[in-house]
Amino acid sequence: MTMDSHDSRRIEHEAAAWLARRDSSAWTERDEAELGAWIEASTARRVAFLRLEAAWAACGRLKALGAGVRSGAVPPRKQWSSLPSVRDTTPADCTPPLAGARRLRAAWAGAALAALIVGGTLGWGWQVYVASEEASYTTRAGEMRTITLADGSRATLSSDSAIDVRLSHRDRRIELRRGEAFFSVAHDATRPFFVAVGGRRAVAVGTRFAVRRDPDEMRIVVTEGSVRLEAQPPRDGSPVPSALLTAGSIATAHGSSVLVRAGSVADAERILSWRSGYLTFHDTSLETAVAEFNRYGSQRLVIGDTATGLLRIGGNFRWSNSEAFVRLLESGFNIRVERLPDRIVLHSR
Amino acid sequence: MSAALDSWFAREILVHEQSLERYLRRCWPHRDDVHDLRQDIYVRVYEAAGKALPTAPKSFLFTTARNLMTDRLRRAKVVPIFTVGDFDGLNVLVEDDSLEHVSGRQALARLAAAFDRLPDRCREAVWLRRVEDLPQKAVAQRMGVSEKTVEKHLAKGVRQMAAWYYGGQPVAPTGIAREISDDDGFTRQQAD
Repeated sequence: MTMDSHDSRRIEHEAAAWLARRDSSAWTERDEAELGAWIEASTARRVAFLRLEAAWAACGRLKALGAGVRSGAVPPRKQWSSLPSVRDTTPADCTPPLAGARRLRAAWAGAALAALIVGGTLGWGWQVYVASEEASYTTRAGEMRTITLADGSRATLSSDSAIDVRLSHRDRRIELRRGEAFFSVAHDATRPFFVAVGGRRAVAVGTRFAVRRDPDEMRIVVTEGSVRLEAQPPRDGSPVPSALLTAGSIATAHGSSVLVRAGSVADAERILSWRSGYLTFHDTSLETAVAEFNRYGSQRLVIGDTATGLLRIGGNFRWSNSEAFVRLLESGFNIRVERLPDRIVLHSR
Repeated sequence: MSAALDSWFAREILVHEQSLERYLRRCWPHRDDVHDLRQDIYVRVYEAAGKALPTAPKSFLFTTARNLMTDRLRRAKVVPIFTVGDFDGLNVLVEDDSLEHVSGRQALARLAAAFDRLPDRCREAVWLRRVEDLPQKAVAQRMGVSEKTVEKHLAKGVRQMAAWYYGGQPVAPTGIAREISDDDGFTRQQAD
């Protein structure tokens, strides 16, 4: 802690600079890592950054004011009431937005009045432009986070994953850039919820499902409601082939083919046990299991020979603890473990 | 640390920033210290919440504020004579127009008022980027400035928006929008 009153301001300036830089097109993975390191260094930085991040997210709601404004034109100050179809709003709709306006200094009074007018006009704007948001979220390896989107939907990002979120009054669009995410979609029949991966997209309304992106494969697991899987629609609006996935479905899209396995919801949930910090295997080859661990852990596991990779295993493992998994293999199976500085190699004994 | 904690913090703590700052300004003799006090309070609350989430976030926030001020007074070599020693006696839960109690519409009105306080160019950059969704590069072209300048405008914009939206306070003491010169990239004129 410090008594230097300029320290907190300096941190705030730095946090703002990071935030603006992250928002630019030149942002790289390396920048992301540097930002991570900057934040990790102190809680003061973390809270300063998260405060500004929250304010930045809130700024997305200004879109509600953009209704009826010509594109490219920044409206003048305090002119929100001059928006078309807004002028007619009756004063009865005006709830004083600032309860404490009376106490504000005279200099603020004008602003408070403007806010009051805006408060009234938004009865219209707010309904049309509900909960807009545009943001990107990422997780590092071994990290998992749940984000509540502006529409009330929730996205849980698995390790090393990234999504771009774009919510508008027309629809809700998510782009899964990498990794896997589980979505719990808030019901809103007027705004379909799309999750796009490459050339395909999953369409949902009031549903819970997960989408995973691998280099040449996409997987969707539905645990509640149903999801329509379709190709990205062509611009001319011609119909696209689609597949309806009901709860319990596990769909794997590979190239132009889609494989759908309809199972029980319990099975589907089990595949998504990463959400509670576990990896669940059931008669799974060690090769697949190791690949799963490598998605999450920071310690890289490598299969030393073919026979080892073919071994079938089952069980529940914490994905944050690959060491426990390795020790178990060592003691319970015919496996010899070779620990190298950058990786752990599993050999047949 | 977890995103759940971050969102808890934004939802349960940041919404009280206006009440908190008002409380600090009332209790603490040096206005200049308020920013720093607030930050330290946030740090304490965040770290404590990382161990166990307080059940009553708002009173926890104000208790933390009180304790922090008491600690600082104790450590200060010279206690200013006009300092009120007993923070407990002060009514903490003052008039409540904190964000948690306002409707979506009112929050938006507050956001709009905050937005209108931004300096012209800064306001323009925030509008183009955040409302029109133009990438920074396009914002730079539209405004006829470098991308670096847009970044600076946005950095300033987000700080001021946070100060007004959460704290209801201007970042600069005057609170008057001032122009930022674009001649040589970016000239800092703000008083903060």
